[in-house]
Amino acid sequence: MGSLTIDKVKKSFGRVDVLKGIDLAVNDGEFVVFVGPSGCGKSTLLRIIAGLEDSTSGRVLIDGADVTVTPPANRGIAMVFQTYALYPHLTVRSNMSLGLKQIGTPAAEIDRRVTAASTMLSLEPYLERRPAELSGGQRQRVAIGRAVVREPKLFLFDEPLSNLDAALRVNTRLEIAQLHRRLKATMIYVTHDQVEAMTLADKIVVLNAGRIEQVGAPMDLYNKPANEFVAGFIGSPRMNFIDAAKLGEGQAKTIGVRPEHLTVDTGSGAWKGTVVHAEHLGADTNLYVETEKAGLLTVRIFGVYGAEAGSTLYVTPDPQRTYRFDADGKALA
Amino acid sequence: MAGEFAQQKKPIRWHIAVFLAPAVLVYTAVMIIPLFGTLQLSLFNAENQQRFFVGLDNFRKLFGDPRWSASFWNALWNNTWFFIIHMLVQNPIGIGLAALLSSPKLRFSAFYRTAIFIPTILSFVIVGFAWKLILSPLWGVAPNLLDLVGLKSLFTPWLGKEEYALTTLGLISVWQFVGIPMMLIYAALLSIPDEVIEAAEMDGITGMAQFWKIKLPLILPSIGIISILTFVGNFNAFDLIYSAQGALAGPNYSTDILGTFLYRTFFGFQLQTGDPYMGSAIASMMFLIILTGVCIYLFTIQTRLRRYQF
Repeated sequence: MGSLTIDKVKKSFGRVDVLKGIDLAVNDGEFVVFVGPSGCGKSTLLRIIAGLEDSTSGRVLIDGADVTVTPPANRGIAMVFQTYALYPHLTVRSNMSLGLKQIGTPAAEIDRRVTAASTMLSLEPYLERRPAELSGGQRQRVAIGRAVVREPKLFLFDEPLSNLDAALRVNTRLEIAQLHRRLKATMIYVTHDQVEAMTLADKIVVLNAGRIEQVGAPMDLYNKPANEFVAGFIGSPRMNFIDAAKLGEGQAKTIGVRPEHLTVDTGSGAWKGTVVHAEHLGADTNLYVETEKAGLLTVRIFGVYGAEAGSTLYVTPDPQRTYRFDADGKALA
Repeated sequence: MAGEFAQQKKPIRWHIAVFLAPAVLVYTAVMIIPLFGTLQLSLFNAENQQRFFVGLDNFRKLFGDPRWSASFWNALWNNTWFFIIHMLVQNPIGIGLAALLSSPKLRFSAFYRTAIFIPTILSFVIVGFAWKLILSPLWGVAPNLLDLVGLKSLFTPWLGKEEYALTTLGLISVWQFVGIPMMLIYAALLSIPDEVIEAAEMDGITGMAQFWKIKLPLILPSIGIISILTFVGNFNAFDLIYSAQGALAGPNYSTDILGTFLYRTFFGFQLQTGDPYMGSAIASMMFLIILTGVCIYLFTIQTRLRRYQF
């Protein structure tokens, strides 16, 4: 009851091509995250799915039906905005029920759905309040509630956590994950935060400059990035990229190795270097090591590691977990 | 240690007084002193160029003397009708125009906006005179224009008939000033975030329903401001009537409003000699009427209107 197909969708604003031909299939019940740097076209793609923006060419199909020219309200979708976009003059209850009233849903049914949604999102104490009397996290829950009561085929989330502070972000992320499990609805979620993408998604779509770079499960993207961009975008801290020529590697242009796949030793190892900076986070330690052979590397060590700036260390990569990229950035087998 | 700062005497912040002084001085000179001067003058009378205090006698005369009171109530009712026309015609049209202008599908909206606003910046003398010419039964274009669409039978010398003249002038004033509510509402509509409107689109609230259920409640505070501006403007009005109908506000005082009544009384006109003391009494009444209206608005309506943070 909620599959989505995007067929060769292109979008240009004047002469600028924002989306350069997107093909994508989303299965019923999937949680799909669009992730990419700002300006990559992920929000535009979401707005085209929502019907708030027209595509220049291409088709959007929901449950097999072509909705390319259907107005937003008739597509059977609901959207949660980054800025919540609640109706400021209405109470929480009216915010949630306004759309249902508009299509003439019976009052008893509206009441049932609002009660169910507010219980699910623990909003019962706030039903008679106005948005101005709520905190940011509560407002975002109301916005989610407004989407839930419409019982849509497809949920769209446009960076819903970006306006929340760090602690709330983690909580709300958890709530969205639980919501997906409970409703088993298809959800499409846009974010620029790869942590949100990794934690929520069944399937991640990495976008860059108006193109899909790679589609896959979070661990596929982490373990088998298709190219240098995805390798650098997924994973935190970022993957280290080393000029292959410096290491004497023939075929590849660039060698990639993730910070967590590097080990350090004070006595011996592959690359000798000096610690430039150390970040002690408790659970892990990030070291920035300037090596003679491979340049500046980020090393992530699990747990506490006592190293100070200026000390000399040897860094060794895990040979099983290095990635090689050709001159176009494509991953080599 | 903390006490040291508390004990230190706060320096007198002279700069506040210095920066406020120019505005306060100018405002006092041109507004406050004349206002109190007028209020004071209304309590005096003069005989043989000798001014003496009469208490509320001028007001007793204004309301007690049948001729004075007939003129006053006539002017007050005309003024109220003038205000009603603006509230019922000018402001709804202004809101409607703003709603049309803010529609993203409208082309040339900048042109329309300017065109509709231009009469507001015209001099009332030009407006009054131009409309007098347009509506003139002798050389005006209105009869011919109506003839073109076969409605010449509807033409009457609107400005010359007692029953139509005030309404006609009210509508001319609406034509001139409709740009102001339009601009204020337009600005209020633009300040509604796109995302709220998009959320309404997603909810299926589109078109007229969107205007009534989402936009209108959000621009209510601006409508309140416009209403009070209209009230103050109308009860201070004078210029359009004076330039179109003269100080006698004819025909037969049917377009006489408080402003023209005050002018005739204070400065005199034709055979009537000027009486600054009675004039001041009328001016004081105008001040009280406007003050009461604004207070009612501020204490009953304004406090109930919410301003929304988006």
